[in-house]
Amino acid sequence: MEAIAFYTFSILITGLFLVTVFSRNILYAMSSLAAGMVLISGLFFIMRADFLGAVQLVVYSGAIMALYAFGMMFFDATRDVKEKNSSASSVFLLSGISAVILVAIFAAPAIGEHIKPLVTAAKGLDNTQAIGEILFTKYLIPFEVAAVMLLVAMVAGIVLASKKMDQSLSEIYQDADPENELKEQK
Amino acid sequence: MSGFIIATVIKAIVVLAIISALAGFGTYIERKILAFIQRRLGPMHVGPYGILQIAADGIKLFTKEDFIPSGANRLIFKIAPLITAATAFIALAAVPLLPEFHLFGITVRPIVADLNIGLLFVIAMMGVGLYGPLLAGMAQENKWGIIGSARTAIQFLSYEVVTGLSLLAPIMLVGSLSLIDFNNYQAGGIANWIVWKQPLAFILFLISGFAETNRTPFDLLENEAEIIAGYATEYSGMRWGMFFIGEYANMITIGFLASLVFLGGFNPLWIIPGAIAIVLKVSFFFFLMLWVRSAWPHIRPDQLMWLCWKVLMPLAVINILITGLVA
Amino acid sequence: MSLDNFKDRNAGVQNYRLLELEPTPTTGWGKFKQVLIRSVKLELLVGLKVTIREMFKALFGGQMHTTKYPFEKLPISPRYRAIHEMKRLLESGHYRCIGCGLCEKICIANCIRIDTRYDENQRKEVSDYTINLGRCIFCGYCAEVCPELAIVHSGRYETASEQRASFTDFADMLTPLDELKKQKEFPGFGAVSPNADENIKKTPLAY
Repeated sequence: MEAIAFYTFSILITGLFLVTVFSRNILYAMSSLAAGMVLISGLFFIMRADFLGAVQLVVYSGAIMALYAFGMMFFDATRDVKEKNSSASSVFLLSGISAVILVAIFAAPAIGEHIKPLVTAAKGLDNTQAIGEILFTKYLIPFEVAAVMLLVAMVAGIVLASKKMDQSLSEIYQDADPENELKEQK
Repeated sequence: MSGFIIATVIKAIVVLAIISALAGFGTYIERKILAFIQRRLGPMHVGPYGILQIAADGIKLFTKEDFIPSGANRLIFKIAPLITAATAFIALAAVPLLPEFHLFGITVRPIVADLNIGLLFVIAMMGVGLYGPLLAGMAQENKWGIIGSARTAIQFLSYEVVTGLSLLAPIMLVGSLSLIDFNNYQAGGIANWIVWKQPLAFILFLISGFAETNRTPFDLLENEAEIIAGYATEYSGMRWGMFFIGEYANMITIGFLASLVFLGGFNPLWIIPGAIAIVLKVSFFFFLMLWVRSAWPHIRPDQLMWLCWKVLMPLAVINILITGLVA
Repeated sequence: MSLDNFKDRNAGVQNYRLLELEPTPTTGWGKFKQVLIRSVKLELLVGLKVTIREMFKALFGGQMHTTKYPFEKLPISPRYRAIHEMKRLLESGHYRCIGCGLCEKICIANCIRIDTRYDENQRKEVSDYTINLGRCIFCGYCAEVCPELAIVHSGRYETASEQRASFTDFADMLTPLDELKKQKEFPGFGAVSPNADENIKKTPLAY
């Protein structure tokens, strides 16, 4: 039963991500990437990692992909993209090498020794509680560091974006004196 | 195992049938209530009190020309309404709709999938629901559509934060993500409802619930006065209808979430049995959405963002902080 | 709904009043205070209260405004100028029109056409009377000028028809003979004013 579900999900995910890579249309690429992200959460659900599955849905499908989509609104999403590919061989070589390295990194532990969980969850806890316990005991410092990093990124983003936020863009362009602008540029 | 699968399939079909019928009925209720509030009669002539207006609308939607603009991305254009409707119903899968009851000697638990992270799953599915309007707006070659989908992205992303943070405080109280645990936590009368312990979280959740179902003070995605119909500009017929079935199903989901998390769920209330109690509560929330629509104006997009990031989110964080200190 | 509502044309004297609004705050602290006061005072709930009050008024107070139009009709003003109508003499049932042609003459849209001839008694008889409703501007001059109060405006304002002729045929415009008893005088344009008797003065010729 689980095997059927796993292979169905895997084939679908792989197929969708292949569409993402090979499609020349932004909209297809984005939709298939989003659909793949949703299906990945299916893999988590199969492994009884309900919490991670839901988080995958919220974070990757709900938030990150939507931000991608937001970026893609600046292009005409219904047209095909013409790729500018000056040297196909070097692109092929580089991407091939990086793919091989990635596969090697993730496959090495699986081949070398069977993966063992570093931490075994305490009995009688459900999935969410187990994750919480591990995050706030053994991995507290990495967790907090990640949180601080996100905070730093957020503050930086706000600072970068909030320059002249109180003025409207049209006002800025109207008030701008061409000579002053030139001086500022120099 | 096979019995479980059969039961789940039956439950899924029943929920799908009932909720989509209710969504259709919701359009009738909405027109009626808005009409009464404006001292009109609303639909009156199709059937008694106009109740067959739903059927008339359905026939109209089904028989309308299914139009796809020539510049649109046909596949995505066709998929987008399905996403809205599907995610709305999938979200309902993890919601316990009624208390357990016995039917033909079998104990029926009216929840399609009893996940132990039910609440998170519902929020996640409603978050994924943003792809419907988003892709719809991007797939049609229309500027109103693209503005609509841009607004979808900002509105859903922003208010998801508030929804999540406002629900975090009740989650901290209950210590579980399962909606059934929420219900059991509030057993034993009105005094045990979470809304008395978390009034701020309740208000924040309602506000962001309105935003996530794009109901009126926040229905910027399809604000007729500004952007024609937003993401639904180029849609017609049943594809357009799918968006609205999804929207009404989402309204029902938010109603269920609010009553389960804050208002005691399906616990019996005085002499009212639990099943009727929760139906009453959900009906109240549905009515509230229509009531608010009749009373309050739209807000501007910048006010929407201002409200979310400068008012609601800090309040939600403070609420969590206080809950953490007290509880 | 009474007719008084129609007669109130004094648009300038309704009880408008200016809202006493505080000046818009400019400083950050002022804005914050305004938001805080507005949220705590629950001003938003006033809107909800008003709408629900109206709903209860409509449902239980009998204040529903809807007129189910084809089944119910609102009264129109007696001076309303709808499709024309020809009146009959109450005694004989003969049409009042004497074929003077004043209405044709005064019609500023040139939409009335009248033909007359002598009948066997050497009386003038209307042989053809048509109104081109496509041109008529419903000014009411014809009713005003008519010395016999023959052509008047009726209350027929629903002017959708398969045939325009059904409004303008002379025979159709006349009051049906069997409804002669119900025929009422037109109070609008060209009608005798209610206090006409008081206004009669002796002409100088009588001295």
